[in-house]
Amino acid sequence: MVEENVKNLREGPMGWAKFYRKGIGYFAFAMHRFSGLVIVFYLYLHLFVLSHLLVGKATYNSLVTSVTYGPFDSFLVLDVLLALVIFYHGANGTRLALNELGIGLENNKAMFYVFEVISMVLLGIFLYYAYMFLGAS
Amino acid sequence: MAEVEMSSGREVRSSTGSLGRMFQAASGLFLIFFLGVHLYVAHIDFGHPIQFFTSVIENMHNFWWLAFFIVFVWVISYHAVNGLGGIIKDLNIGEKGKAYVNYAMVALYIVTVVYGTILAVLVARIPLP
Repeated sequence: MVEENVKNLREGPMGWAKFYRKGIGYFAFAMHRFSGLVIVFYLYLHLFVLSHLLVGKATYNSLVTSVTYGPFDSFLVLDVLLALVIFYHGANGTRLALNELGIGLENNKAMFYVFEVISMVLLGIFLYYAYMFLGAS
Repeated sequence: MAEVEMSSGREVRSSTGSLGRMFQAASGLFLIFFLGVHLYVAHIDFGHPIQFFTSVIENMHNFWWLAFFIVFVWVISYHAVNGLGGIIKDLNIGEKGKAYVNYAMVALYIVTVVYGTILAVLVARIPLP
């Protein structure tokens, strides 16, 4: 199993996606990498959007509105998925950081579930407050 | 970087060194704080999911928020570039390839933090509408 996991690791994203019968450990590992790549892409997209602050008020407000809402508000789904990815990555990353300090190595799977449940509750609270004023611009 | 197997904790390690993993973990913990504050300020505190031009400029005119966002850019860029480098080095590339990846990641980090810092300072100098 370990040799197969190493082989999948070397294959890149297509290899990481082979979750079948690998267990929750492999799922956590692979999703941490996928979510990390998504966040890196978003980081540079965010810098690109923020760069338009230098162009002027009308341009920035127009751009940030279009990339947030998109046609028929469809991009709001992407916003929710992005928030999901960030909260997942943060929770799993916190668990890994604690592991680096030697904390929770014996109860790794339980810690994964606990951290992810907490992060999903926080995600729900964040989304509620972030979107409760939707359309109030 | 992450491990493949959770059960034993150390069955498979990525090629990122232990020092790199420790810095990655430390910067990640800082980011929980930075990102939490950022999400609160930019997406909740203003009562609207989008922070428009005027509110961004007002925010960045405060020295402490400017400093906060510059440090945020430096830490998140380190975490992102270190993670990205680790992922690339785990692919089927030789030692020479890994050395090139290291150089490329250092260059990417420098470009990102310089650009991010200059952008933050320039935005802070935009007069309030």
